[in-house]
Amino acid sequence: MAQETYFHHSLKINDYLCTGCSSCIRACPTAALRIRDGKVILSDNKCVDCGECMRTCPSRAIYVKQDDFQLMDNYKYRVALVPVTFIAQFENRYKTKEIYSCLRELGFTHIYEVEHGTKFLAKLYRKYMAEHPEIRTFISPYCPAVIRLIQVRFPSLVDNIIPLKSPLDVAARVILHELMTEGARRESIGIFYVTPCAAKIASVKSPVSGQDTCIAGVINMDFLYNKVKLLLKNASKDAVPVNHSLTGKDILWPVTGGESALFSESSFAVDGLSNVIEFLENLEDENIDVPGLVEMRICDQSCMGGPLTVNNRFVARNRLEKRAMLVDRVLRIRKEKPTLEYPEFTEDLAKQLVIPAIKPRSMMKLSDDFSTAFRMAEEMKRLEKALPGINCSACGAPTCAAFAEDVVRGEADIDGCVFADIRNNPPDALRKVWGERLDNSNTTTK
Amino acid sequence: MHYSFDIERGNFTDAGHASASVKRTLKQLNVEPASIKRIVVALYEAEINAVAHAYGGKIDVEIDPEKIVMIVADEGPGIPNVDLAMTEGWSTASPKVREMGFGAGMGLPNIKKNTDELKIDTKIGVGTTLTMTVYLNA
Repeated sequence: MAQETYFHHSLKINDYLCTGCSSCIRACPTAALRIRDGKVILSDNKCVDCGECMRTCPSRAIYVKQDDFQLMDNYKYRVALVPVTFIAQFENRYKTKEIYSCLRELGFTHIYEVEHGTKFLAKLYRKYMAEHPEIRTFISPYCPAVIRLIQVRFPSLVDNIIPLKSPLDVAARVILHELMTEGARRESIGIFYVTPCAAKIASVKSPVSGQDTCIAGVINMDFLYNKVKLLLKNASKDAVPVNHSLTGKDILWPVTGGESALFSESSFAVDGLSNVIEFLENLEDENIDVPGLVEMRICDQSCMGGPLTVNNRFVARNRLEKRAMLVDRVLRIRKEKPTLEYPEFTEDLAKQLVIPAIKPRSMMKLSDDFSTAFRMAEEMKRLEKALPGINCSACGAPTCAAFAEDVVRGEADIDGCVFADIRNNPPDALRKVWGERLDNSNTTTK
Repeated sequence: MHYSFDIERGNFTDAGHASASVKRTLKQLNVEPASIKRIVVALYEAEINAVAHAYGGKIDVEIDPEKIVMIVADEGPGIPNVDLAMTEGWSTASPKVREMGFGAGMGLPNIKKNTDELKIDTKIGVGTTLTMTVYLNA
């Protein structure tokens, strides 16, 4: 069945390393993985780029494909767009300017901090929320994996997402504006984003909005960490010009609770894959009521726990909290108040940050035709009762329910269930483990 | 397609399994998200009503290509005055139930709002049966 591919994925599988152990297929929140020919395969339209498979893989066979680092050489202005999460990977004894000087040594001509745009974005969130009193619970659009999870698994909630782009998009546009005002040509500017996860890459390569993200390339955080770490011993202590300074609030944005803290007190934060799913189920069933903004991030401890981060997430969080405090103290002493002020540009920028529509992409529907879907659902229900329900994954699907779905979709053969035969005459050892479950006449198992 | 579930008195924490299971099927059928929401809200409310007020009961859900019919039958005190029970804010829930965040008197009115047809059969001292119908793809 040829299907239109909605999403770009940077999560790749190394067939040479994959042992087909099936750990990842059971970790996937959207049942996007299967084993075929002894290797794992990924269904592009189901995957939300959460990176859970990569974390789970014991063979390190799942990796995130990044852009060629040499791509930088094509540009005169080589901009590193660095999130504070990157700084949080280094011990506090290294100063930010030392880390940035290493980036200069690696070839970047300009360093920009991503979170500088958060103030502006929060303002736009507030405006949108005020303009939409009919929506009770607003979901932050910050974590791209959450947006995609909602699209494929919770399509009824797409209208709760604030349709605005991310701090990354603000920063990239501000960089272009500033450099071009200084006289740089658009095609001579290459902006490179340092990413803590696969979802951000996907959001750059195939944005929900379908519009240009102004990013020339993406560099994996762990890759850049290794490069900087080697240079750091001999790093220059001279100040590196960073184009903007952050406030404590900016620094805390990618930390759990940092974004929701900027909104009304009934706003709050949810992090971690299973927490996010449980919360979305509740929200969908309307058995919880949240008047305000919900910050939702797929990783435990938000970006501090991104699959491409290097250090312990709690340590990273603590480093940023310390840094935020320090920065605020300095700003207070200097009586500075950094803002994003481009009077001639702000209005245009605000327009560029709007996502026209976040479409539902339900991957749960069995067919677009209702009567076909109905027949398939009935068949699935019948199959599920006939299957052993022990989710052994020997068939290559994560659960018996997923296997039943594969069968009715024509993507797997019922003979793929090893228990289909064994149940008539199970070996004693198996009977000891599964008891009555192996009895074929026992089809009441839910 | 038929589903059935048991209802246990006072077991608020387990309530919601029925609506979760029905929700999954409706998503597979590609039913309009707005209809799914109505169905799930109505079923959950009805289940919570039975958990809070009755001694036990049963949920039967039948989905056919035109409609979903959800029957929530309980053995319980019955509803003395159905008109009153249909009034928003009116409740006979015990203080214990209210402490758990239920019993705001929104149950039946909310069910009515979220279904296309609602039939209430109730007998004092015997029990209540709610028959809720929502038409699919209407």
